[in-house]
Amino acid sequence: MSSEQDELQSTDTEARFDFKKEEKSAFESEKGLDEETIRLISEDKDEPEWMLERRLRALKQFQAMPMPNDWPEAPDLSEVDVDEIVPYIRPDIEARGGADNWEDLPEEIQDTFDKLGIPEAEKNALSGVGAQYESEIVYQNMQERWEDKGVVFCDMDKAVQEHEEILKEYFMTQAVPPSDNKFAALHGAVWSGGSFVYVPEDTTVEMPVQAYFRMNSEGMGQFEHTLIVAEENSEVHYIEGCSAPKYSAFNLHCGGVEVFVKENAHVQYSTVQNWSKNTYNLNTKRAIVEEEGRMEWISGSMGSKATMLYPSSMLKGRGASDNHITIAFAGEGQDIDTGAKVYHNAPETKSTIESKSISKDGGRTNYRGLVHIADGAEGSSTAVECDALMFDNESTSDTMPYMEINESSVDVAHEATVGKIGDEDVFYLQSRGLDDDDAKQMIVSGFIEPITEELPIEYAVELNRLVELEMEGSLG
Amino acid sequence: MATSTQVPLTISRETVEGISKRRDEPEWLRQTRLDAVAALDEVDLPDVIETPGRRWTNLEDLDYETLVDPDTQADQTERVGPEGVVVTDFETALDDHPEIVEEHFGSITDPETNYLTALSTALFTTGTFVYVPEGVDAEDVTIRAEMNSRSLFSQTLVVAEESSSVTILERIENGGAQSAPEVDGERYFSNLVEVAAGENAYVQYGSLQVLDEDVYNFSLKRGETETYATIDWIEGNIGSRLTRADIETELEGDAAETQIVGAFFGHEDQHFDINARVWHHGEHTTADLVTRGVLDDEARSVYEGVQDVGRDAWDTNSYQRENTLMLSDDSEADASPKLIIHNHDTEASHSATVGQVDQEDLLYMTSRSIDPEQARNMLVEGFFVPVLEEVAVDELREDLQAEITARLD
Repeated sequence: MSSEQDELQSTDTEARFDFKKEEKSAFESEKGLDEETIRLISEDKDEPEWMLERRLRALKQFQAMPMPNDWPEAPDLSEVDVDEIVPYIRPDIEARGGADNWEDLPEEIQDTFDKLGIPEAEKNALSGVGAQYESEIVYQNMQERWEDKGVVFCDMDKAVQEHEEILKEYFMTQAVPPSDNKFAALHGAVWSGGSFVYVPEDTTVEMPVQAYFRMNSEGMGQFEHTLIVAEENSEVHYIEGCSAPKYSAFNLHCGGVEVFVKENAHVQYSTVQNWSKNTYNLNTKRAIVEEEGRMEWISGSMGSKATMLYPSSMLKGRGASDNHITIAFAGEGQDIDTGAKVYHNAPETKSTIESKSISKDGGRTNYRGLVHIADGAEGSSTAVECDALMFDNESTSDTMPYMEINESSVDVAHEATVGKIGDEDVFYLQSRGLDDDDAKQMIVSGFIEPITEELPIEYAVELNRLVELEMEGSLG
Repeated sequence: MATSTQVPLTISRETVEGISKRRDEPEWLRQTRLDAVAALDEVDLPDVIETPGRRWTNLEDLDYETLVDPDTQADQTERVGPEGVVVTDFETALDDHPEIVEEHFGSITDPETNYLTALSTALFTTGTFVYVPEGVDAEDVTIRAEMNSRSLFSQTLVVAEESSSVTILERIENGGAQSAPEVDGERYFSNLVEVAAGENAYVQYGSLQVLDEDVYNFSLKRGETETYATIDWIEGNIGSRLTRADIETELEGDAAETQIVGAFFGHEDQHFDINARVWHHGEHTTADLVTRGVLDDEARSVYEGVQDVGRDAWDTNSYQRENTLMLSDDSEADASPKLIIHNHDTEASHSATVGQVDQEDLLYMTSRSIDPEQARNMLVEGFFVPVLEEVAVDELREDLQAEITARLD
């Protein structure tokens, strides 16, 4: 390893992926993405020098790192062509992602919007076609209430200008350094948009903060960065994305999420991901949790062609806790490889992971999770529960947990089950007058209920509706 | 995976030719050995689990150059078989049953599976051949193998014909100072076992490994079942410095069954890397994987369990449990139970736990005036009970229990 590589690796956290194998990657000819492009992006955003430096450093790491294709049974990423990225990220190139007109969107996407009952203006905004829509006003109102409390909620580009000191400290330094993995590095180089949330000490934000409202303002939101800092004794619930499908001609979504949960703070981060089914969804999300802090990750993965997403928590302070709730639904042609990663690095830390997955029509789901209990983290406990439901013989359901236990006074439990939808259950419901489809749909709703009940009502309703649509096979 | 194909040591064709010639082997086996030695340049060490910043077992760190001495291999192996069953060493088997050996040798485990299997095939000088003819319901076969050299490579083949049944009990240990006065320090033992279970055959293979604690031990036991056949494995690991053991069954035929029962007890700086794997290919197959292990001092365990259900494996039942008990703060336990399911007509589950001796149980016992150490030992012995109960063979169960008790003293 060259000294430059050593230097690049020096910002590693303990959680860094340790790829040693030099691979011939799909990104070998990276003529498209170069330093000049990165400089242009940074210049266009009028960024300070330090941010440009971080971007360039991340680019170098991206170029040096191999693809994560030595993972067992990892999704096939060979179709991801990073050369295509340039037209979508260079400010000097006119043609951006998305479609120019509603009519240009693929039919199944239009169809889904209609079926979800989303109003026209919102449709345009969410699909990346249109400009602003009326929720801007709602957003403004909320903004004022929060500002009184000292809460900051703004887009990341603005945060770079206005909250420079906080960003310098937290932006891709501790939670998600670019050296974490190849796509975190790519993200670090080309990131654009996203949200910055700062919650001061002893402050509770009652309403969920929804990134939803702002999505359109930064175009595609494909490389968005979210940074949440929750100071001591604060509480916030952040909701990312929305259940409506998002379409883009460029098929890579590569976001980054960093959450800092300070002493006794509580952060809940909910996502329902429904990327269109041509998208590779490769995100890196990580929280660092201090003493008595609590982090909750709630994720629903419905869309995308392939997803690799493992939200992680570093439980750093005594008594810190983590709760993961994950639903994955893979239909035809989808490979949803998702899970959780928790590092117990302090005594009396606690994590619970609940995963539910459904595979159907040849789709594949995989729970891939890592729980690490460090030496000295005495009195820690973790419980992992994975349940998978399979609909047919073309589908695949995998479960791959990894447990690393370096401390003896711990309580570690992992459980998983896989099964088909019960014929008897279906028969029972049919005997009560439901047809086959309704019966199955009802069983699925029951299966995922432990998760939907954790979501705010409007989200739960949308998620349920989405599952229904998936079940009918009427979505593209 | 990250280890490249760098050859840890050089084995010449001449060495291999020499072994084959001294044993007066047929041409096909000579060729198999030569192919294996040639493959050493191409195949990797066995896959071990890698997670961020961590490689669970470092097989590449072994000093194979010093450990492997192909020309001084020595062993003392006792084989006792009942009437109606062939139980012999490999050389005799090649003379008496050449066709059966040729048909099955290397057919269950491809010699080129990995670097260590290739090395084993190229260099083996001992091992046992067990043949149970059609319809024979055999009494127990016992194999007691003593290792008396720097390195020893053993290859065992079990062929159970249609509707036969047999139980094989294997004990692996080092000869005392009398049998091998010259040999001490780090040593290497390699044990490949292949089991072919014919239609409706039943094979139980119980292995108890109590090697000296400076021996590096590589073992791969693998079986294939035809229709209605059952292979039950019992794998007890007590000895060795480092053990990498893979116990695998391919459920090929319909309605085939397998059970893999594992027990290990590590202390000091022992390292156990135990892998139990089952592939369901046929319909109506059943697998049950049960492993329990205890770790004391700085011992470390790695467990991987794989239940792989194929596309055509309708009506599969597959269960896996793994439990580790940690007695010391300096011990480490890694576990990864995996489910890979391609057929929805499956009932599969797995569970794994890691924990310490229950403090309440301990308190209860000490409050009944049981000495704390004795109480702990009783709880450890109790921890192994669910596994011992799965061991149907009295002799093996008693031996295993005795080893556990001895370790606690």
